[in-house]
Amino acid sequence: MTNHWIDLKNSDCILIMGSNAAENHPISFKWVTKAQEKGATLIHVDPRFTRTSAKADIYAPLRSGSDIAFLGGLINYILENDMAFKEYVINATNATFIVGDDYGFKDGMFTGFDEAKHKYDKSKWKFALDEKGAPKRDMTMQNPKCVYQLLKKHYSRYSVKNAVDMTGTPEDKLLAVYKAYASTNKPDRAGTVMYAMGWTQHTVGVQNIRSMSIVQMLLGNMGVAGGGVNALRGESNVQGSTDQALLYHIIPGYMPTPTTAQPKLEDYLKLVAPVSHDPKSMNWKKHYPKYAVSLIKSFYKNAEPAVGYDWMPKLDAGQNASWLVLFDEMLKGKFKGFFAWGMNPACSGANSNKTREGLTKLDWLVNVNIYDNETGSFWQGPGMDPKKIKTEVFMLPCAVSIEKEGSITNSGRWMQWRQQGPKPLGDSRPDGEIIAELADKVRALYKKEGGAFPEPVLGLNWEDMTSAHGFDVHKTAKLINGYYLKDVEVKQPDGSMKVFKAGTQVAAFPALRDDGSTCSGNWIYCGSYVGPDPKDNRSTKRSKEQTPAQAEVGLFPNWSWSWPVNRRVIYNRASVDATGKPYAPQKPILAWNGKGWDIDVVDGGGAPGSVHPFIMQVHGMAQLFGPGLNDGPFPEYYEPLDCPVSSHPYSKVLHNPTALTFKGEKAAVCDPRFPFVCTTYRVTEHWQTGLQTRYQPWLLEAEPQMFCEMSEELAALRGIKNGEKVWLENERGKLWAKAIVTKRFKPFVVQGNIVHEVGIPWHFGWRFPKDGGDAANLLSPSVGDPNTGIPETKAFMVNVRKA
Amino acid sequence: MKLSRRGFLKLSAAAALSTAFGGIGFAMKPTAVDRIAMLKPDWSKQTTTACCYCAVGCGLIVNTALSGTKRAINVEGDPDHPINEGALCAKGASIYQLAEGTPGQKNPRLQKVMYRKPFGTKWEAKSWDWALDRIAKNIKRDRDATFVTKNAQGQVVNRCDGLASVGSAAIDNEECWAYQAFLRSLGLVYIEHQARI
Amino acid sequence: MSGKSFFVDLTKCTACRGCQVACKQWKKLPGEKTVNTGSHQNPPDLSATTLRLVRFSEMEIEGKMNWFFLPDQCRHCLDAPCKSGASLPDSIIQDPDTGAVIYNAKTAKEDAAAIRNSCPYDIPRVDKKTKVISKCDMCNDRVKAGKLPACVQSCPTGTMNFGDRDAMLALAKKALAEAKKKFPGAQLVDEDSVRVIFLTADKPALYAKTLMADATPTRRLYTRQEALAALTRPVRALLG
Repeated sequence: MTNHWIDLKNSDCILIMGSNAAENHPISFKWVTKAQEKGATLIHVDPRFTRTSAKADIYAPLRSGSDIAFLGGLINYILENDMAFKEYVINATNATFIVGDDYGFKDGMFTGFDEAKHKYDKSKWKFALDEKGAPKRDMTMQNPKCVYQLLKKHYSRYSVKNAVDMTGTPEDKLLAVYKAYASTNKPDRAGTVMYAMGWTQHTVGVQNIRSMSIVQMLLGNMGVAGGGVNALRGESNVQGSTDQALLYHIIPGYMPTPTTAQPKLEDYLKLVAPVSHDPKSMNWKKHYPKYAVSLIKSFYKNAEPAVGYDWMPKLDAGQNASWLVLFDEMLKGKFKGFFAWGMNPACSGANSNKTREGLTKLDWLVNVNIYDNETGSFWQGPGMDPKKIKTEVFMLPCAVSIEKEGSITNSGRWMQWRQQGPKPLGDSRPDGEIIAELADKVRALYKKEGGAFPEPVLGLNWEDMTSAHGFDVHKTAKLINGYYLKDVEVKQPDGSMKVFKAGTQVAAFPALRDDGSTCSGNWIYCGSYVGPDPKDNRSTKRSKEQTPAQAEVGLFPNWSWSWPVNRRVIYNRASVDATGKPYAPQKPILAWNGKGWDIDVVDGGGAPGSVHPFIMQVHGMAQLFGPGLNDGPFPEYYEPLDCPVSSHPYSKVLHNPTALTFKGEKAAVCDPRFPFVCTTYRVTEHWQTGLQTRYQPWLLEAEPQMFCEMSEELAALRGIKNGEKVWLENERGKLWAKAIVTKRFKPFVVQGNIVHEVGIPWHFGWRFPKDGGDAANLLSPSVGDPNTGIPETKAFMVNVRKA
Repeated sequence: MKLSRRGFLKLSAAAALSTAFGGIGFAMKPTAVDRIAMLKPDWSKQTTTACCYCAVGCGLIVNTALSGTKRAINVEGDPDHPINEGALCAKGASIYQLAEGTPGQKNPRLQKVMYRKPFGTKWEAKSWDWALDRIAKNIKRDRDATFVTKNAQGQVVNRCDGLASVGSAAIDNEECWAYQAFLRSLGLVYIEHQARI
Repeated sequence: MSGKSFFVDLTKCTACRGCQVACKQWKKLPGEKTVNTGSHQNPPDLSATTLRLVRFSEMEIEGKMNWFFLPDQCRHCLDAPCKSGASLPDSIIQDPDTGAVIYNAKTAKEDAAAIRNSCPYDIPRVDKKTKVISKCDMCNDRVKAGKLPACVQSCPTGTMNFGDRDAMLALAKKALAEAKKKFPGAQLVDEDSVRVIFLTADKPALYAKTLMADATPTRRLYTRQEALAALTRPVRALLG
């Protein structure tokens, strides 16, 4: 989230799309309701009428996978009706930038496509630069090659008719949404969007979100109270685990994983530090070398940074090691050993049968969990013959959240410390303890026997993560914050010199250094644990002290700690004009008092108007034109890989030409065997694969079995009665469900034809309860977004029949 | 003096008598449990935590018995927490059961290290030491066997291609950091988790 | 004193079922074995182990889809008709401070069917094994200790409110005026006779046929008129 949960109350119009917040983030509705009480309009766009829709002022149905038609239509509506907030668009976005001559777009394709590799050459999408190397701008936005005009041209095809044709949304509903949302273009009005996996789990996932970001930029809704682009993250610490880079493509603090294109540290530092030639662009990433070197020192504090860098594994340049690739490689036998730590991939990954078969190819599997599950017990699952499966399996019991201490980071970036209640039950242990003890045993083996490249194994900084009793959560938190490794003398703003002694915690990331004299495990967390004592751990803060202005907008700067630097609304600099005056004076998030900034911690620094507002962008401007993505600088409409139509009105290119696909994965396009669109979702009472919730009678009693929601029309077509058992099937798998026949699902009219859609939750698995059903992902395809690799589990085709 | 809501409730709790009707409702037993008394510091320790489900980050209060089972006895929303102000959804409200199961029934949680040998047909309970020793040996054996110093193009990669990991958004920041550092020190690049799916 | 009351603003309920579980958590009531019967309402009905239940009702009205949610519970009637089904003295009592209608050890000796049938909202349920009749007790232990009932504390949206009766009645009237702007058919349900005052967005029967006492044709009628009359006469005399 760019903003935070309480900030939802400041919104004038809340669009929930790609999310079912009332069911899956129920407490968000505390703040959504508060906004509604103050007069805000709540909009829900979703294939199915849900508990969220029930509270919405406007509900608009939309066929799964057609979001860009809907949102592209909204962009066009804003531009055609000249509703953009011009001052904001000119000063805060790259609308005025001139795009280079190599850029072009024709019939669904951008310039630079390599047919053989299914990839774009993104160098074709560069901005035209002036003699100093800064982007050329046309402040009147009349130049046909400026971003604003290119945007207008690109979305001129996104008519209301086309949107209605592809989404199946009734025209009156579509226009009601457009009108309500575009009304937030007034400087003092804010619109916000709450989205979740309903947008990400598509082969156009990133571009779904990009489309909405464009809307937010045009309406001046980024960086303001009650605005922003808010991803509702689905796991208590998925924000934190992403920040800490449990992903192949990044290392902690969102820096890219080193590849063979950066053989040496100096190559890497060059890659991560972009250069701007615009004096008003803060270009914050120019500081990344300090963060990268401090990170390397946190890993390997006794090695020179260049040596520590050599010890880090390198991807082959361009290598994709993301989830779907991982399981594809597993099936091919690439891996001998595999850890499924606090995860249940046998149910959670797309195409579960492929995942489950992959597990049989392993020599060994370590499964750390609270309960026995479909992953650890895969060898005794449906269709498996244990006697033929070689995989050695270790199932390690871990503690539950209330049994250990440590921090988690919520969707609004609040780092919150948990205290330990009861001790871990039975033989279960906190995950940190398991990790540290296992690492200790591995190191002992390397110390004793030597082995392949032992330096990084033996050199890792366990000293700062453990104490005599094993894993030390406070020491680790201090390491993540960072400390001085040597005495460092620093000039203060008043000209005096101050010495920071070796061992002192670093106060905030601007103090980090690139000479190896500081370490920091994650620069964005630098400032979270600023002294030796547990009281210096700001994530434990529980004071509700706030100024009246902070109270007005629901800021609690003394409750927990938010990255970065306790800023609660990121990009907040965009909420004020060039003189520092808030665009929304009745709910300011930031205000210049003549000497400094009040209310929130300002993004960037300096006087009003002195810097461009989007400091993390090289040119300081929000990107209407986004030349960094793999599938194009503007979102373009493509159908899901499994889809019920053979063409669409936007171009002749049916699917995202850059989607992540695998050999042997069959797409069902207008396949009469699988005539119905199927989508997946969650219910309030279960969580993810249901592993933590299926074992709890208070939750299981409320949602005891796999179900399939369908319209009365489809039920009549297939002779299915409410509550009966049905089969869902496609080329990938088959599963049973209890039919919920409901008026809340309606057939869509798409290009004049009736398209039926059904929906299933993904909370069930064969292991428990025995009459609960199995995983929805048995049916979902292993195809993914070209930028993230996130699988398309929200829109695929199935057949449904009476069991 | 401005009192917080919880502060107020505490004060009023101290002033009120606890009721003899507590716990009546379900199959009433002659000895009704005085749940209110159990929440007092003489009987239980009070700690704060954040919910383990979605990422709203609701605050909870956990009361853990000081004697007897020393297990959690009550888990409910933290009225002081500025996001949830004491509220919890069905999942958040059930965290007591996640930890403790149903009173009087066997807790279904994994409480022992379980092991399945290659081609085995059942689980066997093992000790932590046995299991971690064996996993460590497996890691070393297979890392040494699959470690790649240079790729096919002769570029230095220093990575271990034979091991992979998924997880976890369900563990704490400090644990995540230690875990990724450990995996990267072994040379793993196939490091993924919930955020990708 | 006028005791305590709930004000339940159904226009704000999202059916998150936090209250349904919070009730079980506080009282440590067991979960039930259920199956999906084609509805999200589960357990299917109140029971001796499910003292509060969120009821789900789907209605298409003039082409507009509605999904009504009702967190159902004992209304803690000012003059409790269930007392009329009881034969022993003090087997159903009202807490003089809070007004909570409380079943106790003596209630177990009563004819459970008679008690259930006397409830205009069809709330009390008999435990199949123990034959003991039970229902919500207003978390009287929590209330007396200055805490909110578990269900009220767990509610995120401001649907569930609890406090002194006068304050709740005032809140109900204010909320009704506010709700009428968006829902012209909004109304308060039996507010003069119960301590759990529901505000509905539309006709109460759309939520559940037992939401309002008047709308319960098959059971012993305890209408609003009777309730009003009851305010001036002992309830036993009225129903006896």
